[in-house]
Amino acid sequence: MRAYIVKRLIVAVATLLGMSILVFALMRLAPGNITDIIFESAGYVDEEDKKRLEEELGIDRPIAAQYGRWLADLVRGELGKSYRFDRPAWEIIQPRLPVTVELAVLALVFSVVLGVPTGVISAIRQDRPLDYVLRVLSLAGLSMPSFWLGMIIILVLVRSLGWIPSVTYVSPFDDLWANLAQFLLPALAVGYRSSALIMRFTRSAMLEVLREDYIRTAWAKGQREGPVVWRHALKNASLPVVTLIGIEFAFLIGGLIVTETVFNLPGVARYLVDAILWRDYPIVQNLTMLIAVVVVLANLAVDLLYAWLDPRIKYETA
Amino acid sequence: MPRPPLTVSLALAALALVLAAATLPAVGQTPKYGGVLATSPISAPPSLSPHEEATIAVVASASVCFNNLVYFDPQKKQESAATVVPELAERWSWQDGSRTLVFFLRKGVKWHDGKPFTSQDVKYTFDMVRGAPDAKGKLRVNPRKLWYENVEAIEAPDPYTVAFRLKRPQPALLLMLASGYSPVYPAHVPPAEFRTRCVGTGPFKLKDHRPGEYVEFVKNPDYFVKGRPYMDGVKVVFIKDRSTQIAALQAGQLDVAGSGWNKANAETAMKGAAGLVVIEADGGTNDNVLVNFKRPPFTDVRVRRALNLALDRAAYVKGPRQGGASLGGAMLPPPAGVWGLSPADLAKLPGTGDPTRQKTEAKRLLAEAGFGPAKPLKVAVSTRAVAIYVDTASWMVDQLQQVGIDATLEQIETGVWHPKMTRRDYQIALNVTGVGVDDPDANLVENFKCGSPRNYSDYCSEEIDRMIAEQSQMTDRAARLKLVNDIDRRLQLDGARPILGWGKQYYAMWPHVKNYVPHENSIYNNSRMQDIWLDKR
Repeated sequence: MRAYIVKRLIVAVATLLGMSILVFALMRLAPGNITDIIFESAGYVDEEDKKRLEEELGIDRPIAAQYGRWLADLVRGELGKSYRFDRPAWEIIQPRLPVTVELAVLALVFSVVLGVPTGVISAIRQDRPLDYVLRVLSLAGLSMPSFWLGMIIILVLVRSLGWIPSVTYVSPFDDLWANLAQFLLPALAVGYRSSALIMRFTRSAMLEVLREDYIRTAWAKGQREGPVVWRHALKNASLPVVTLIGIEFAFLIGGLIVTETVFNLPGVARYLVDAILWRDYPIVQNLTMLIAVVVVLANLAVDLLYAWLDPRIKYETA
Repeated sequence: MPRPPLTVSLALAALALVLAAATLPAVGQTPKYGGVLATSPISAPPSLSPHEEATIAVVASASVCFNNLVYFDPQKKQESAATVVPELAERWSWQDGSRTLVFFLRKGVKWHDGKPFTSQDVKYTFDMVRGAPDAKGKLRVNPRKLWYENVEAIEAPDPYTVAFRLKRPQPALLLMLASGYSPVYPAHVPPAEFRTRCVGTGPFKLKDHRPGEYVEFVKNPDYFVKGRPYMDGVKVVFIKDRSTQIAALQAGQLDVAGSGWNKANAETAMKGAAGLVVIEADGGTNDNVLVNFKRPPFTDVRVRRALNLALDRAAYVKGPRQGGASLGGAMLPPPAGVWGLSPADLAKLPGTGDPTRQKTEAKRLLAEAGFGPAKPLKVAVSTRAVAIYVDTASWMVDQLQQVGIDATLEQIETGVWHPKMTRRDYQIALNVTGVGVDDPDANLVENFKCGSPRNYSDYCSEEIDRMIAEQSQMTDRAARLKLVNDIDRRLQLDGARPILGWGKQYYAMWPHVKNYVPHENSIYNNSRMQDIWLDKR
């Protein structure tokens, strides 16, 4: 087990290194740099001023030198300075992290709480009216982009109640209820799509497991439905679902970008897009690496969960 | 004549009513103190430093913190020399045959950090902006250096007197100093700090700034104008999504919105919120066509003229602008503008006559220049990949195709737009220009003078330059207007930078917001908010 974790961590470091090269290269391949954007914003270009600014920001140096310096800073835990705001990058990223974390966690909770039980119910009520209703709802979830659903939620709220969640961030430590009112709807908008996917995976995995001999044996022994379905069947059906949840977590962060924009939540996902448009390299590179670390760790956690869910699974390094 | 549908009629009637209500001054009402105004600009500002930026988002977000020497009276809709009022200067005086502008400053004014305001702050600010060799500060970017190129020296003989010595007379300098882009910075705060915070003398002090999220100000208790401001604070919330911005206004989370709104946005907002007030104002922003004078075939005057004739201005107003625009030349036309061409003059310009006849003439000119069905002129219409630009550029492509030009649309990402324009790496382009001050010294010099950084067309006429310099020195307003109109007519006939029209602005607010007066000829100079009050209690 320990050897497996060590091996996975080595692979994770290699993945992150590859990721760092990719994000660094992609940002440099995009047309224009921050000085172009700054002058664009000012409505003119002065080549001399531009050159001076490039020197000041260090983006006139060779690409390899820029990459080396960024990587060295990253290893030391120094995130550099936001070119756009002229402030330490961490100062810009830090207040936005709790927003995205809260939204992502709530969305994930929504998707699991909605997706798993409905998938199980749908499987045990296969081809009955309730199954059809749940399948239609899940299909709707898969068909509706989260930003569209978010916008519809806002329009319905403002038209029917004359109210929308606060457009400025409310910390849960300042006002928990206002914070929940602000986050539950966007979390629902993001989580609904994932819940639909989880529901369909759970349903199909459950249908397969429910046809296994040991389940038939359990029924034959006169066991009640609850323990059969929730203890025996669901645990064995959950491996592909857990895998899916791990993958969905990565996709969920992508979905947050637009949802944070629609609900005007000042999270890192929305800010990442702004930073890309501004070619604010330190912010883009460090945020992307942060997201990559989260995704890599989430996948590692999922892999480790397998052994807990199915003790037959052994981790070997061969 | 077909009758408009009932819904349209009702909407128009409602719009007329709210416009009427909105234009009613708060006469007879005693201003109330208190409350915090929540507003939302067109976008999040890149910084809080007006001297380093050229977007309304900065002026709209940061002006409450600053003061100018002089300012355009926020309560007067039309800005002109007659509406310039004192701010940090108590009064001013032209001396030495209009070659020296002397300001006599207020005493006892304090910066928000408690330090005293003196003439050294004024000298520091404008030496920095004009790029004086001995300036004590340097801006990262300096978009309005050109405004002050006629300033020879700035002298501060004592703490409360400052003199701008000019190379030649320039009465319009006072107007440039009255712009929202001309606040006075404190000499003791490095200019880089204004990107994220502000230390001013203005009616509101910075409380909190979350870049990209909001900026919050509180009342300055030491403000030098007694009894002002009325409000306890101002919160500027940055909302990227336009639909969310409209919903936030409808839900009452914003008191005022509308910066950058088009007519459709205003109508949408009104449909969902009874009682919302919408004000339509000109605002001084034009859609213009950049023509690359250095790239064939646009070196041929016949091609440029054909292009100008092909673009039917009435269709532009009805089409991409949905009725929310007016026709004009290089200067904003009256009644909103001070220096623009009259309707009679405008009717004689290319693109404003009978469209069929104009298009026929355009085809003839193109044929003369060697282009026709067998050898069509191929043109890429470049524009920024932003909805308001793309809408109008797409319309342009259609208009050009109607005269046989093989036009295509080229969308350019914002980050490379100005570098591309500066390199003249385009054939023709659709551009939007906001005029900071409705005066020829700002507008004509920036956009049409030979060698000006923003003269992206590279249009250059020694005669026009001479006329621009001449009008700048004139003190007789009528004579200056005549000369400016002459310049404008020539620019339009030369196809220097054909103006499609001047887009209107739509401001939406709740009726409890009092004394908010959008200006008719610039969007940049009325964001001080010291006179606004909230009738909420």
